[in-house]
Amino acid sequence: MSTINLRVWLIIPDAEAATVKNTLIRRMGCGDILADVKKERLFSIDVDSGDPEVLAKAFAKELVNENKESHKVLIDTLSFEGAYVPVKVSLHIEDGEAISTRDRLRNRLGFKNVMSVKKATIWKLYLKGDDKERAAKEIAEGLLINPHKDSYEILSLAEDASLSR
Amino acid sequence: MGRKPFKPFAFDSPFAFSLVNFATGQLPPTGIDKFITVHSCITIQKRCTLVKIIGLTDQEAEANLRGSGLGMSVTEARSIAKVLNRDPTLAELFCYDAMWSEHCSYKSSRATLREFLPTTGPNVVMGPVEDSGIVAIDDQWCVAISHESHNHPSQVLPNEGAATGIGGDVRDVNCMGATVVATADPLRFGDPYGPQANKVRWVAEGVVDGIWQYGNALGVPNIAGDIVFDESFDFNCLVNVVAIGIVKRNEIIRSRAPKGAGEKGYDVILVGKPTDASGLGGVTFASEALREEDEATNRGAVQIPDPFLKNVLFKANDDLFRLVREVGVEIGFKDLGGGGFTCATSEMGSAAGYGMELDLDLMHKAGDFPSEVLCIAETQERFLIISPRELREKILKIYNEDWDLPNVYEGARASVVGRMTSDGRFVVKHKGQMAVDVSIQHLTSGIRYQREEKPPVKSFSEPVAEEPREYNDVMMKILGSPNIASREHVYRYYDTEVMGNTVIRPGEADAGLIAPVRGEKFGVALAADSNPFYGRISPYWAGATAVAEVMRNIASVGATPSCLTDCLNFGNPEKPEAFWEFREAVKGLAEACKRIWLKGYADQPVPIVSGNVSFYNESPAGSVDPSPVVACVGIIKDYNKAVTMDLKGAGDKLFLIGPRYDELGGSEYYRTILGETGANVPIVRFDLEKKMIYAVIDAIDQGLVASCHDISNGGLAATVAEMALTRPAAFGLEIDLGKAADASMRTDKIMFSESSGFVIEAKPGSETRLAEVMKGCGLDLMEIGSVTGSRRIVMRRNGKNVVDLDLDLARKVWVEGLTEAMR
Amino acid sequence: MKIAVMQFPGTNCEYECLVSAREVGMAGELFRWNRPAAEMSAFDGFIVPGGWSYADRIRAGAIASKEPVMDALREEAAKGKPIIGICNGFQILVESGLLPGTSGNGKVEMALAQNVMISNKKIVRRGYYVDWVTIRHDASPRRCSGSFDINKGELLQIPIAHGEGNLVTMEKGLIQKLNDEGQVVFRYCDSSGRTIPEFPVNVNGSTENIAGICNPEGNVLGMMPHPERAFFNWQLPPHDPRKHQMGAVGPGRKIFESMKRYIEARA
Repeated sequence: MSTINLRVWLIIPDAEAATVKNTLIRRMGCGDILADVKKERLFSIDVDSGDPEVLAKAFAKELVNENKESHKVLIDTLSFEGAYVPVKVSLHIEDGEAISTRDRLRNRLGFKNVMSVKKATIWKLYLKGDDKERAAKEIAEGLLINPHKDSYEILSLAEDASLSR
Repeated sequence: MGRKPFKPFAFDSPFAFSLVNFATGQLPPTGIDKFITVHSCITIQKRCTLVKIIGLTDQEAEANLRGSGLGMSVTEARSIAKVLNRDPTLAELFCYDAMWSEHCSYKSSRATLREFLPTTGPNVVMGPVEDSGIVAIDDQWCVAISHESHNHPSQVLPNEGAATGIGGDVRDVNCMGATVVATADPLRFGDPYGPQANKVRWVAEGVVDGIWQYGNALGVPNIAGDIVFDESFDFNCLVNVVAIGIVKRNEIIRSRAPKGAGEKGYDVILVGKPTDASGLGGVTFASEALREEDEATNRGAVQIPDPFLKNVLFKANDDLFRLVREVGVEIGFKDLGGGGFTCATSEMGSAAGYGMELDLDLMHKAGDFPSEVLCIAETQERFLIISPRELREKILKIYNEDWDLPNVYEGARASVVGRMTSDGRFVVKHKGQMAVDVSIQHLTSGIRYQREEKPPVKSFSEPVAEEPREYNDVMMKILGSPNIASREHVYRYYDTEVMGNTVIRPGEADAGLIAPVRGEKFGVALAADSNPFYGRISPYWAGATAVAEVMRNIASVGATPSCLTDCLNFGNPEKPEAFWEFREAVKGLAEACKRIWLKGYADQPVPIVSGNVSFYNESPAGSVDPSPVVACVGIIKDYNKAVTMDLKGAGDKLFLIGPRYDELGGSEYYRTILGETGANVPIVRFDLEKKMIYAVIDAIDQGLVASCHDISNGGLAATVAEMALTRPAAFGLEIDLGKAADASMRTDKIMFSESSGFVIEAKPGSETRLAEVMKGCGLDLMEIGSVTGSRRIVMRRNGKNVVDLDLDLARKVWVEGLTEAMR
Repeated sequence: MKIAVMQFPGTNCEYECLVSAREVGMAGELFRWNRPAAEMSAFDGFIVPGGWSYADRIRAGAIASKEPVMDALREEAAKGKPIIGICNGFQILVESGLLPGTSGNGKVEMALAQNVMISNKKIVRRGYYVDWVTIRHDASPRRCSGSFDINKGELLQIPIAHGEGNLVTMEKGLIQKLNDEGQVVFRYCDSSGRTIPEFPVNVNGSTENIAGICNPEGNVLGMMPHPERAFFNWQLPPHDPRKHQMGAVGPGRKIFESMKRYIEARA
């Protein structure tokens, strides 16, 4: 059993990230703590057999739109590199799209070894100031989630380093 | 090589404006001209790198062209160099390549279209000369219509491809000054149960998603369209999009530079999304056959849609139109579509006989791109304005401040990018260098090819098969077939209600109907149609039946066909067989338009006011079935008189108009039940067709029709069944097949012949008047049965039940047929 | 009497809402999001129409809810002026904490999540859906501005068109409180008024079939169905007998008439 993590980001301008940044700075007064916002999609796909590297390639072919996206595969680990704080936002209620993705991989494309698919958005916050954790928390709770359906997790850099080993 | 001496710019050249940062919208406070004289003018001495053509062998030139990423032929490149009298720049070649592509220049098709298609008529306000055709509704109001294909992009990236198809088509309508009020989407996908099932379903799902996500967010209702599945579309889906708009006759805005623009040096203003490299080569891409290994590289050719920005742009455009009306000046306004910046600017200039000087440094863009990219990239959500200098600040304010484009989409805005000239040159500067300097007429006049035509060697024969012993199963199979089943699975994604104008929605009748102007009684009906299976046997009859059926669709709700558009989807025109198919279909279309007259005007054809040709819909596995897709706009004087196809009341009588003939070639019955194509394709009996259409319109106008459905795919049997199955599905029906044809016709042929016709439901007591209307049009009214209170669909012949279906079971199969096919 | 129809970038139902408001005799105008917020106080009521404000980025209504004009709207709400949020407008009011507004401190108390269509306990479809539905008015007359004139138990046929109308909340006891306080204004039901919890009656999987709620004071209403699309009788589906009936009106008209009556009653 392995978890294939597929990090996917846009190579064209990300209109959603631009709107989030604009809103945080222009409307929510985060100019002092925030320098930039980028975004990724994260698929975490559990498979119970098969070569995860090979499967990851096949999944990427289906889930990544090469015209506008690039991606990175991480097997059984999840790490981020860069001067940002990654905030992972996902649904805590049932994620219909993730279930659809699983069904598509299993049924339409025949990957019966796919056990589950989880989806999340990774908001990459380029923060200013000393208390980055607090700033990330403020931004996540202020805009990035609606607590009645979403949960978030600040993926600290130190923790990622340990994960990536 | 002789280099053409370069003419220095005049003192008030817009290129000098680049000293001011127009990209940020910072205007000099006063007197632009004075400002420029202070800084003197720029004289460009350096031309961008030239692509060597002159003096090379064909092979070397070919290598040079391909090495530069150009698709044009060596002959074409040589003809350009000859006219320029020098080697062209890379940007020039890209501009020509885009402008001379099949998509922009109709180089293979134009002669045929001109030869056959009727494009004028008493109601035509503007024929197929600009982005949309326009016909009059009454003395004041007009409908603008555009019909485009986005087949190749949608096959590779279904969601973005289909979405930008809608996006481009609605821009074509909006740029005429019209309010876009409806769309329709005729779609063709491969066999969802065939060898390419996975890919086909991926394409179908993505296309439908792209259409609803774009159209719903934009806020324009999708009210018509159809979906056909067939293996000939396994590798080439067809995504055709129709958009219609409403505009007052005296408020139409032209897609060309206004009179005096050149002499007075009007501004050229680019509005919308910052230009990027997206969609680069989209035009040349649409004109080449797809090979599977190309898919990865072709993906770079697809544009990125943004309906949200478009929604805001449309509202800003409304303010622009209002400003122009208030001030009382004429502007030129055009969307940027295929061929990007070059196509929009040069066509606007050349249409008025002017030239223009443009500066790419003034363009707002998403990054640092080479000139050739900026010239022809197909970045979405952009418009071009040609307007008098005195309106500049007001126009920039509308987009940059009132509608705050820069904060709505990063980098979006309106920028002055150049000015009109009267010297007929198309001049583009970039980074102080000359990127393009060509004759605007030469660039836009395109080239023509006389393609060869040859009928393909194909033979078709009628199947030899026994009549089925049992028809209930046959009926259920037909009703559940992906091509007959209810389209509900798809149209529940479409916001068919937005704008609040919708009177008849998809699924309720053969055409959609809107009441687009509050306070006016008229309704505008829209339908689209084409049958690829007929096309396979006879492209001529496919063209003619498409016109006839789409007019029947319009008549079925009570509207009068007013104009048509055609989107002609074929294979590679360089192959004589494909070109023959194209010409045959066009002949069929034209013949039907000319012989089914515009109602109320004897001998006047129903005009084709807009259209599109899509060639190269083929892969190594073969080409698509000839698909002349036709859309029709109809007008009903009072939308309250319109009827739908659902049965209205037990005891009502059912009538057939249109005799049954042995015409099952390409029929649903032959294909689904017998697995054959057949040969006897339905033909159009033009005089009969005209009488039937007129009679139905008149009968509905006189209030004699409770419901109406035209006979097409699946024949009479599927037609009556659909009337019972359509919501609310509250009634059953009984018909006597013996009354629909004479005794010599086999039951299966009566039921499933796809000869044209209508089934009408009428209240008891109205038969006499209905018969009078029919007689007045020279037709016989055949009473074939009645609506019942039992929940059964019953068809009899000679006193015996041939079909007896439970309405609810039949409805389940009919509703789930498409859901299953797209799962 | 003058009302404002709010217009955010991406709003797409403002024109038909304005037409509906004017038809019942309310003067009205569009209010673009970047107009000076102070001008809001000149209006007697507000409609936040449907559409895709800010392209539904992050989630429907989230970005629009941060616009300065929303602070002004909160102030106007506190004055008791009627505010009706339709579809995306409802989503904006939820994201801005104006609805259900039980906390009194602007806290976001619920979410409108993606539609989930459940039939026989199985998910049969998800996401965007367009159809005509029947809703039952569950509040008392005069309880809520937008249903001021509608009887308790009255059924209305109105279309929906949304991808995110599935009301969910983590707030303990909130639904009970809304029920107790009469803040549940509309529920999806069948043609006899039964609130069957499954698709197609519960068209989006919403908790307790809730289609519309109001704030404790009753002046702010949010609803997913579009009354402006069921305003004229000719907009109705073909099998509705009112469609061709001379002089008949659409059921959605009652929402706008209620708003007007509420403003008149307040004056």
